[in-house]
Amino acid sequence: MKRGELLGSLEHLVLLALLRLDGSAHGMIVRREIEARTGRNISIGAVYATLERLEHKGYVSSFTGEPTPERGGRAKRLFQVEAAGKRALQISEQTFRSMTVGLKSHWGAL
Amino acid sequence: MSRNSPPVFAFWLLECLLPVQFRDAILGDLAEEFLLRASSSRSSARRWFWGQAFRSLPFLLWSLLRSEFAFSTGIAAVVFLSMAGLKFTADLVIRRWVAPAPLTEVVLAPIIFLSLSMLGGCLAGRIRRAAAVFLALMVATTVVVLIALNPCPIPVPWWYQFGFLTFGPMTVLLAPAILGVSETEKGSLK
Repeated sequence: MKRGELLGSLEHLVLLALLRLDGSAHGMIVRREIEARTGRNISIGAVYATLERLEHKGYVSSFTGEPTPERGGRAKRLFQVEAAGKRALQISEQTFRSMTVGLKSHWGAL
Repeated sequence: MSRNSPPVFAFWLLECLLPVQFRDAILGDLAEEFLLRASSSRSSARRWFWGQAFRSLPFLLWSLLRSEFAFSTGIAAVVFLSMAGLKFTADLVIRRWVAPAPLTEVVLAPIIFLSLSMLGGCLAGRIRRAAAVFLALMVATTVVVLIALNPCPIPVPWWYQFGFLTFGPMTVLLAPAILGVSETEKGSLK
C-alpha cells in the first residue's frame, strides 16, 4: 500500500468480511456478512466490483470453485485475503485510531 | 421455465450486459440466493432479483470502463467515427437520389440509426465489451445534442426523440449478445 493511500469504506468492509469468513468466500457470502453486521443492503455488483479492485491492488486473490446445480452449473469465484490486504487493513486501522484519539468527548455531545 | 427459476428477462439482461470476468460468478451467486429466497416467498425473491440486477449493473460497468479506459475509448471512437461517416453517406445518397418527402425522411431516420447502432455495437463488442459501453455513451450524448439542435424537417412527438435516446444506446449494448458476437472469457473472439 502506497504511503497515504487509505482503503475506501467499501474496500475496508469487504476485506474485514473476508477475514471474518475464515479464509475464502464468494461474493454473495461477503454481501450477506456485511448486511448482517452493518445493516447495509449493498448490491452484489458493488461487492464484485470492489473485490476486483482489491485483487488488482494485490490485497486479495481469487480462484474458481466447483460448479453446482443450484447455481445453474456456474462455478463460484472464491476470494481470499493476501498478506498485503492484511497489512492495508492494519495501516487503515492505525490511521483511524490515531485520528480518533481524544475525540470521544465530542461524540458524547452529539 | 421452472417455478424456482429467476426472472427470465432480468437474467437475460444480466447475461448480455455483465462484463465477462464477472458473468458466471455473479449469475451463479444470484441464482443460488434466488433459490433460497424463493423457497419462502417467490414474489419477494423476484423483487429482490430485479433490485440486485438494476443496482449491480452501474457498479460493474463503471469498474469495466475504469479498467480498460484508454484501449476501449480508442476502439469506441474509431467505431463511432465510422458510424458517423456511414450515416452521413447514407443521408447524402438518400437525399440526392431518392429525395424523400419530409415524412419519409422521419420514418427512414430511425431505421438507419438503429441499423448503424447495431452494426457499431457488434463491431465494438466483438473487440471489447467496455468499448461497446463507451460507444453507447457516445451515441446517447450525440442524440442529446441532436435533440437540443432539433434538426427534424417536421415537428415530431416527444416519444420519437425519446426512442432514439433509449433504443440507440440499448441496441449498441445488446446487439453483440443478441447476434452472438460478444467478447469471450479470455479476450478471444467467438
